[in-house]
Amino acid sequence: MRLIAAALFLVFLLLLPAFAYSDIVARVMPRGLSGASLLNVFLLIFLFGYLAQCWNILGGFAGQLSLGHAAFFGIGAYTSTLLFTIFGLSPWIGMILGMSLAGLFGLFVGFVSFHYRLVGPFFTLATIAFAELVRLSALHLKFTGGSMGVLIPLQGDSVWQFQFSGKAPYYYISLFMLVAVTALIWRIARSRLGYYLHAIRQDEDAAEAIGVNTRKYKLIAATLSAALTGAGGTFYAQYTQYIVPDDILTVGLSVEIILRAIIGGSGTVLGPVVGSFLLTPIAEATRVLFSGAGSGAAVVQLFASDATLAKKLSGYFSFLVGGGGGGGALMLYGLILIFTCLVMPSGAVPWFERRARR
Amino acid sequence: MTGRLLEASDITVRFGGLVAVNAVDFRVDKGEIVGLIGPNGAGKTTFFNVVSGFCRPHAGSVSFRGVDIVGLKPHLISRMGLTRTFQIVKPFPDMSVLENVMIGAFSVHPAAKDARLAAMKALELVEFADWAHRRAGELPVAGRKRLEVAKVMACEPDLILLDEVMAGLTPAEHNEMIETVRAIRASGVTVIIIEHVMPVIMSLCDRIYVLHHGELICEGPPGKVARDPGVVRAYLGEEFAL
Repeated sequence: MRLIAAALFLVFLLLLPAFAYSDIVARVMPRGLSGASLLNVFLLIFLFGYLAQCWNILGGFAGQLSLGHAAFFGIGAYTSTLLFTIFGLSPWIGMILGMSLAGLFGLFVGFVSFHYRLVGPFFTLATIAFAELVRLSALHLKFTGGSMGVLIPLQGDSVWQFQFSGKAPYYYISLFMLVAVTALIWRIARSRLGYYLHAIRQDEDAAEAIGVNTRKYKLIAATLSAALTGAGGTFYAQYTQYIVPDDILTVGLSVEIILRAIIGGSGTVLGPVVGSFLLTPIAEATRVLFSGAGSGAAVVQLFASDATLAKKLSGYFSFLVGGGGGGGALMLYGLILIFTCLVMPSGAVPWFERRARR
Repeated sequence: MTGRLLEASDITVRFGGLVAVNAVDFRVDKGEIVGLIGPNGAGKTTFFNVVSGFCRPHAGSVSFRGVDIVGLKPHLISRMGLTRTFQIVKPFPDMSVLENVMIGAFSVHPAAKDARLAAMKALELVEFADWAHRRAGELPVAGRKRLEVAKVMACEPDLILLDEVMAGLTPAEHNEMIETVRAIRASGVTVIIIEHVMPVIMSLCDRIYVLHHGELICEGPPGKVARDPGVVRAYLGEEFAL
């Protein structure tokens, strides 16, 4: 039953780009939103699901809460992009090199942190510090373009150059990445590595006493998690064609990644995917609807056909969000997060599993 | 086959100004069940921590099967065949009992399928197989102690250190655990056991070491140790000395 449902859902996702631009979708979609933005939302769901899944290996399975995954993401993005702009190297090869570099950096962060026995919140602080180091380097070094970032020159549709004019190819690549990483984690969860990581998360001394090389397995988790996150960075750079430190190397991005894993259920195979399907649309909706001046009006227009009522309501909204800035989006987003944490403290997947057992 | 399995000599551990273990010599031959007793704070668990690699001694040497193991990580010592339980039990609470034991079995069987079979065997040895699919976090005390022993046995060790596996159990459960320890020895595993329950120690052990304030005050078969004036004084006080 579950398998059939999952397969049907996957087929739906595979066919989505084919009818995203059709009349039916255009009629169903809220005003102002197109088929392209529908694909964009799904693509972001896949990308954030992928990143949350990568984080899940270290933060969920091994229980080492990293708040520095933006650094691995940024290293992946910058490596492939700079190799492309400077040497003209294909971003696909850049992606592999970016993964290697991100993985090495993950290994380094893990080695230093575990060597000095940084556990719990101290490990988390160390990962923030290392990530800030990367952000500040990218901000102040010459060859990374500083605060202006790097623009990827357009070369037209080319598979080898990882550039496409439409959204559909990016859509499929990100969907493939999400499915592949989830399959990998499914395999890990059933192997010795997965069992060991779960044991380490629960009691390191107990694991060590019965033959688990805790240091080694934590380092494996850190390296694997960082390298896979790096691939996500390359994808993002190719999709947006433009990278800036204050966009892709911030603690804010790390938090966005973690939220999806935790809301969905960290340490589970499907948690981060579910978390991304729950959170990403909300994050996107609040961002789009509240962005810019007159944001309140945009929301109201969706729901109210009566012009005077719309005007009145939009007045309330601009009052709430203080003149219609991005603050409203964060407020609504925050409220939803608080509510979810109260109802499902261990995440959506464990919550549903407990319901199903009853 | 008999022979020396563990030889610890002149072990000293200090915590600041306190000498927790002072120049202790300790040896165990293959096939023995050896008791380690002493009043609270005598240094018994600290001695276990040294032997299992969790605590580095300030002086002394420990050799297991003729190999010096001081300074080795606990997981390496465990893989060499010397594995310990914890006085304050340490189950992995979110896993099932079987999965807990599999963590130990993975040391010997890298494939999950084989580890699951070996873990089941270890659970049968400690007569805990009926509980295999319960969550470890919801076990009663007696169950947690049994799980602790099963985890250790799944590592397929030559020598196990049992740290107060009887504490908190009822007299009926004591007898079950005594049978379990005998079964473990019969399967070819040597045992060192820390215990406060004297009838258990007296009926189980071939030899007993007595620690008091970190010093070894007596060593020998149960009959000799029970009559030793120093031991009686350490446990009951000066006025009860024979």
